[in-house]
Amino acid sequence: MREVANLLGFVGLVLALLVVWRQSWRGRLRLFVAQSAVLAVLAIAIGLYANRRGLLVAALGFAALKVWIIPRALTRIAAGPPARTASPRRSAAASLLTAGVLVVVAFTIMRPVTAASALPTAGGIPLAFGMALIGLLVCVTGRDVLGQILGFLLFENGVFALALLATYGLPGLVEAGVFLDVLVIVLIVEGIAVQMRREHDSLEVDRFQELRG
Amino acid sequence: MMLVALLLTPVVAAGLLTIARGRTAGLAHAGASGLTLAFALGVGSDVLVGTTPSALGGLLRVDGLSAWMLALVALVGGLAAIEAPRYAPLGARHRFYPLLHLFVFTMLLAVATDDLGVMWVAIEGTTLASVFLVNFERTRASLEAAYKYLLLCSVGIALAFLGTVLVYFADASKGGQAAEALRWSQLLPLAGELDARVLELAFAFLLVGYGTKAGLVPMHTWLPDAHSEAPPPVSALMSGVLLSVGLYAVVRLRALVDASAGPPASERMLLGLGLLSMAAAAAFLWRSRNYKRMLAYSSIEHVGLVCLGLGFGGPWGVGGALLHIANHALAKSVLFLLAGRIRAAYGSAEIADVQGLLATRPVTGRLFLAAMLALMGVPPFGLFVSEVMIFGAGFQQGFVVLPALGLGLLVIAFAGLLRALHGMLYGSAATAHAADGGAWLAPVVAALVALVVTGLAWPPGLAAALGAMATLVGH
Repeated sequence: MREVANLLGFVGLVLALLVVWRQSWRGRLRLFVAQSAVLAVLAIAIGLYANRRGLLVAALGFAALKVWIIPRALTRIAAGPPARTASPRRSAAASLLTAGVLVVVAFTIMRPVTAASALPTAGGIPLAFGMALIGLLVCVTGRDVLGQILGFLLFENGVFALALLATYGLPGLVEAGVFLDVLVIVLIVEGIAVQMRREHDSLEVDRFQELRG
Repeated sequence: MMLVALLLTPVVAAGLLTIARGRTAGLAHAGASGLTLAFALGVGSDVLVGTTPSALGGLLRVDGLSAWMLALVALVGGLAAIEAPRYAPLGARHRFYPLLHLFVFTMLLAVATDDLGVMWVAIEGTTLASVFLVNFERTRASLEAAYKYLLLCSVGIALAFLGTVLVYFADASKGGQAAEALRWSQLLPLAGELDARVLELAFAFLLVGYGTKAGLVPMHTWLPDAHSEAPPPVSALMSGVLLSVGLYAVVRLRALVDASAGPPASERMLLGLGLLSMAAAAAFLWRSRNYKRMLAYSSIEHVGLVCLGLGFGGPWGVGGALLHIANHALAKSVLFLLAGRIRAAYGSAEIADVQGLLATRPVTGRLFLAAMLALMGVPPFGLFVSEVMIFGAGFQQGFVVLPALGLGLLVIAFAGLLRALHGMLYGSAATAHAADGGAWLAPVVAALVALVVTGLAWPPGLAAALGAMATLVGH
């Protein structure tokens, strides 16, 4: 189990790093879907290993949500005029460097947790936290609604992975609440995006300049 | 039984109100608000006689602290409900009313559940239920406010989820029962055996996460926007009780961390963020040009003050902080409702555009003055007493510099508020005099009277209740 958890955790982290590096929206979305699929596999593996049927259900719910429903909603948000403006952005190298630093930070912060864990999956905990921090980075450096929400979803994936590796998943009621919550957030963002296109003709958050002081 | 009814009422009402129209909708809205308040007070009185109502296999459990918060949410919910018809146009009530009741439901659930996971889901639910209410007027500004609110609070609350995972981890690795490992009442007696370093780390995430909902600086940036753009009844709920629900979560979780790692860790974090919030708010109170934003920044100041009280600790610090939460909830919700009236009269939320309020709207103006004085902590209002308790606790616990700094910031904020208030109340009015007053003012007056009661003559049992709540969370 140790090898599986470490390998899948590592793949998830690399996919998060690739999201930082990629510039095209469709490429980034595909990377997010791939990461979600990897985490669903991780959940199934842990569910089988620990013999937890609830975790298998959670894995299926996670896959349905993050591999299918949410990417479709994000594609709807991204579709339609106007095209995203190709304004210059900070260099991929600088962002990657920051992300690398965050991974180191993740290992440092999670040391007490890894030390306190007796589970074979403990080695993956800092990797999962790294994914979450990179998601946070993508979120705060996002220039438009799509970038920011993608960052939030990556962050969410990281937290899901952390819960998985540290505790073999939370009680079903809580997991269900989290899934519903993420779904509603994405649907609300879809509504907001429609209104933004109408008001500002763009999804860029720089257009938000009404509220100051 | 009554507890389940309390939580079912707003949910059922929300469902009915999506289909009801016209007078039926008005009646259902009023009936549901009244019932919610009655059930909340009923549950509260059960707790007062010494029982701990619980339901759904212990998933819902109301101790003294929960009852205090339930009553507060229901009271401010009632105030907001009375004013709601003014701000929801007839054609939009089937959107406004259901969301308002759902918003109240999520807050009630957050404070009535014993399960930290369900509490997290409920607090995130408060954001989802209220984001459309913030954007209810669908202007550019309200859209911006709603988006910032949704994104920042979702990220913040996800950090709180990370903290919750770590609490669960700490418990599960000590062999806690999976389904009930997040029950606060079961965690607390065991907390001493949990890994202190993990819980400290968890608390850092939880404080930042729930602190975002509570409006602590530097996670506050969504707050002035959302509170000023939302319709007044929603602002009243957000500033009055939503922030308090975030603080409530911090109070509960802090008890666990203190039992495991000892108070110093949480104390440092609370005092630091509390003082920072007060400082930032005091600065912004001096430069705010919009009175709704001014009220929002004042909420940040008071949230900081409550954190200071929690940080000082002891029965006075924690009791004072909890009393301050209630006092602030009443004063601030009344002020947002009055601000809505003022905005309707003057057609502007800019401080510079509102002059001669006492002359043009004598009743509204006087009440606004009274509520502002209450907010500033002037006696005989309750905020004065809770502020004395908080700073008294600080000096009593041997702090000198921190309470002194806090008092200094309070004076700066006081002066900032007074300056704005003076400009609004006096001067030559551009708006004609109009008769105001009427039955709608009765609850506003009642809230102000309640504030005088908490300031001058505590009802029997209040001191004991505050002490019991402080004991409950380990002080």
